[in-house]
Amino acid sequence: MSSLVRPLALLLAVLVAVPTRARAQVPPDRHIHGVVEDAATRRAIRDADVFVETRGEATAQPVVVRTRSDADGRFDVRHLHTPTVRLYVRAIGYAPSDRIVDLRDDDVVVAVRLVPAPTVLAAVTVTADTLADRLARVAAVSALDARTIAATRGQTLGETIRQLPGVATIQFGPSISKPVIRGLNSQRVLVMNSGLRQEDQQWGTEHAPNIDGFDADAVTVVRGAATVLYGPDALGGVVRVDRAAVPDSGAMGGDIATNLFSNSRQGALSIGVRGANLALPALGRVGYRLRLTSRIAGNGQAPDYFLSNTGFRELNGSAALGVSRAWGRGELLVSRFATELGVLRQAHAGNFDDLQRALTAAPRDSAFSYGIGRPNQRVAHTTARLRVVRDLAAGQQLEFVYGFQFNDRREYDNHGPLRFRNVPAFHLRLFTHSLDARWSHAPRLGWRGTVGTSALAQGNQTIGKAFLIPGYDLWQGALYAQEEFTRGRLSLTAGARTDVLSQTTLAFADLGITSPAGTRRWTGFSGSFGGAWALTRDLDIALRVARAWRPPTVNERYAQGVHHGTAQYELGDAALTPERSLGLEGTVRYRGARLVLDAAAYSNGIDGFIFLRPTDPVLTIRGAFPGFRWSQTDARLRGVELAGSYQLLDRLQATVNGTLVRGTDRTTGAPLFDMPADRVTIGLRTTGSSARLGRWYAGAGTLLVRRQDRVPTGTIYALPTAGYGLLALDIGTGGLALAGRRIDLSLSINNALDHRYRDYLSRYRLFVNDPGRDVVLRVTTPF
Amino acid sequence: MHRSTSWKVAAPAALLLALAGCGDSSTEPGGESELITRVTLTLTPQGGGAAQTAVINDPDGNGPQAPQAQTGTLSLARGTTYTGTVRFENAVASPIEDITAEVRAEANEHRVFYTASTTGVTITTTDTDGQNRPLGLAFTAAVGATAAQGAGTARVLLCHYDSSPKVGTATSCTGETDIDLTFAYTVP
Repeated sequence: MSSLVRPLALLLAVLVAVPTRARAQVPPDRHIHGVVEDAATRRAIRDADVFVETRGEATAQPVVVRTRSDADGRFDVRHLHTPTVRLYVRAIGYAPSDRIVDLRDDDVVVAVRLVPAPTVLAAVTVTADTLADRLARVAAVSALDARTIAATRGQTLGETIRQLPGVATIQFGPSISKPVIRGLNSQRVLVMNSGLRQEDQQWGTEHAPNIDGFDADAVTVVRGAATVLYGPDALGGVVRVDRAAVPDSGAMGGDIATNLFSNSRQGALSIGVRGANLALPALGRVGYRLRLTSRIAGNGQAPDYFLSNTGFRELNGSAALGVSRAWGRGELLVSRFATELGVLRQAHAGNFDDLQRALTAAPRDSAFSYGIGRPNQRVAHTTARLRVVRDLAAGQQLEFVYGFQFNDRREYDNHGPLRFRNVPAFHLRLFTHSLDARWSHAPRLGWRGTVGTSALAQGNQTIGKAFLIPGYDLWQGALYAQEEFTRGRLSLTAGARTDVLSQTTLAFADLGITSPAGTRRWTGFSGSFGGAWALTRDLDIALRVARAWRPPTVNERYAQGVHHGTAQYELGDAALTPERSLGLEGTVRYRGARLVLDAAAYSNGIDGFIFLRPTDPVLTIRGAFPGFRWSQTDARLRGVELAGSYQLLDRLQATVNGTLVRGTDRTTGAPLFDMPADRVTIGLRTTGSSARLGRWYAGAGTLLVRRQDRVPTGTIYALPTAGYGLLALDIGTGGLALAGRRIDLSLSINNALDHRYRDYLSRYRLFVNDPGRDVVLRVTTPF
Repeated sequence: MHRSTSWKVAAPAALLLALAGCGDSSTEPGGESELITRVTLTLTPQGGGAAQTAVINDPDGNGPQAPQAQTGTLSLARGTTYTGTVRFENAVASPIEDITAEVRAEANEHRVFYTASTTGVTITTTDTDGQNRPLGLAFTAAVGATAAQGAGTARVLLCHYDSSPKVGTATSCTGETDIDLTFAYTVP
């Protein structure tokens, strides 16, 4: 369900795109039908792409239904629940048509007359390139569309989604940002990138998702367990990053996007090209989409000093080819993400004494620099994906996705004589093959849904000069079904999944460290059941129960080594058993004429919760380190999320967005690690549109974060962090007319008052303040 | 249609199996050691006499096993000054690597600190780096005539400097610690 606390800009977009808001009481089931014709000859156009997008009052999420015109140019889309829809029609050789259709009028046939043109495709993204999941109605889901992403894009992907309710990030300065959903992160939050499970050593909190923030046309966050559709690592939630489908009509077009960040003096440039005018032998007409992105950032800047060695560089590229035929669609995507990033020097300790000294020393100013020294990370992630969708009768679809991913991670430390520092301390190479097949079947006895199977084969190599985790092989197979039943005001969803995992670790015996070989196999079941009930036209409630499980990962079972930045010595436990969760969540959605409100509350019990328990200090030749052993306990996570907006005046809107999480160790009553502090964002926004300025907006918001005093004792994390408040300002427009072009422009000022603060989830908070004022300019120019 | 569907299932599955064969994890993990696993202290009385040697071994270096017990005893006679040296080695490499030479070669980035627990025992660094700052691979241990008798400990700390400047007058490590060990001695 959605949070309709979606970002302000999206609300704006909705308000502008759907100027005629429904006022009348109307029956919920509507349909649209029409005919596509050539504007000049009035001849029917067959096989035109017809997209019907419902958004606004009655549905939380924009839903896009896609169909094609038949031989007579006709199309018909049923079961629509909004008073107005957006109708987007395109056909090869014609300019696309994009309009709002009011369905409250009597049964009219909509005539879509397309003007012949060798057109440029509209830059607006209408469909994502993967099947939407069927959780949206009963689960807590929030989404960012392409326009919002472009207007709010942060230094990293994590920074972009941090604005959503229930989402926080673990930060290692500006360069590493790891999503936290409802207090869970890393191996419990699955990142799906264009339909592939992102396999990039995600267990490490300082391993950020290796995804190009510019190569995302939609980001969706599912809060709470979504293991039925996504597998065990979605126990905490899912971040879905989707790209637009490769165009199947239109000439070449594209965009140039520039982002400038004052704080780290970051410059980011991304160039995208797309079209469908490529003719290949044997394949015929082929659509394509290319993107190349580069970012260069220097040291971040706290209000009184620069953060030494926190710069980063990215060079990313992707290329996709797609065909769209009568049988369906096929798409090949190849992408590469490569980054080099620095780790704050002060946070890198030789031993616990060094750490204590770093904690008590005043932060040193360091000059601004784009240079990256030790310690640092170099990571490259290469992906190849082949996707085939077969359209079957009665709206059924078969989807196959094969993916190959290669993640190459090198981490360099700063120990020992110089020559050792050019050899990575940790060098991990992860190879992943995956194959997914899904069948979206036609309604049967009122149920419609998806049945799927998933297979994954993974191998890890450990090569660096130090040991952290062993090499391993992982095999995984799954079978699942997610079904939805709708009758009248009631809608039910049910899902079930079985996973089998086999984990084989390779023996390691070198440097005095031994790690045994062994194979473990686990089988587990996930299930979910939920219902949504529309009490009135404006109000609906939903309830969902989800059962999930997750086997221990290799690092939890076999880690032996020091974690950079925290000087904590982590020790795995091979005897760990899977953790199992049972979660209950309720959501309430209100869509009034002025007030829009979404609230969610949940309680999630996790038995055998795997976490790092403080243990005896580990003595080494380098001195003593605080010891942490992966252990299990029974935990409970509870929380409330609230998101709403109120239309104060025609052009003035107030928004609020708050998140509260309580994580508790049920056996001791102690708080859990890494829980985000309570926070609320309050904003005011004014919007408008004109021919010259486009759809403009201006807003101000404040983020208020309460003191985090629920911290576990006995560790260096036992330091509470103070509360803080930050002011953000932003102004921008979509479609500014300039030199004959339509330019998207936005200017944001984050932490406008240059406030000194340390967030509880900032891993550098023990040493330095979080970054100060950041002025961000974003310009996107289509061509 | 049914036929083509099953073909589509079979083809990617075959591809998956074929590709799963390459890029697997069969490479044994292993790597180059950066370790210092053995530290040796040698004390020679300045007035003449036999040198004493004490060794602490930690075969897993930074690994979770604690360093092994010290081998060799150090007996510091009151009223005597000893000339001392320290030696850092990677003893799990074959052949054994002498890291001391590397520390000397990068003298401007390193310093060894010594702390004796006994009142009346003073350890003084006697060598310097290229900028005339103390280095600490060579030192003297002066045992006063009235030094407290009994068991004592000498802490040996190898510090290296990277972002932080090496300050000659510093009395403790302000860089990063590469070695931090404590040797036992007695003052009879």
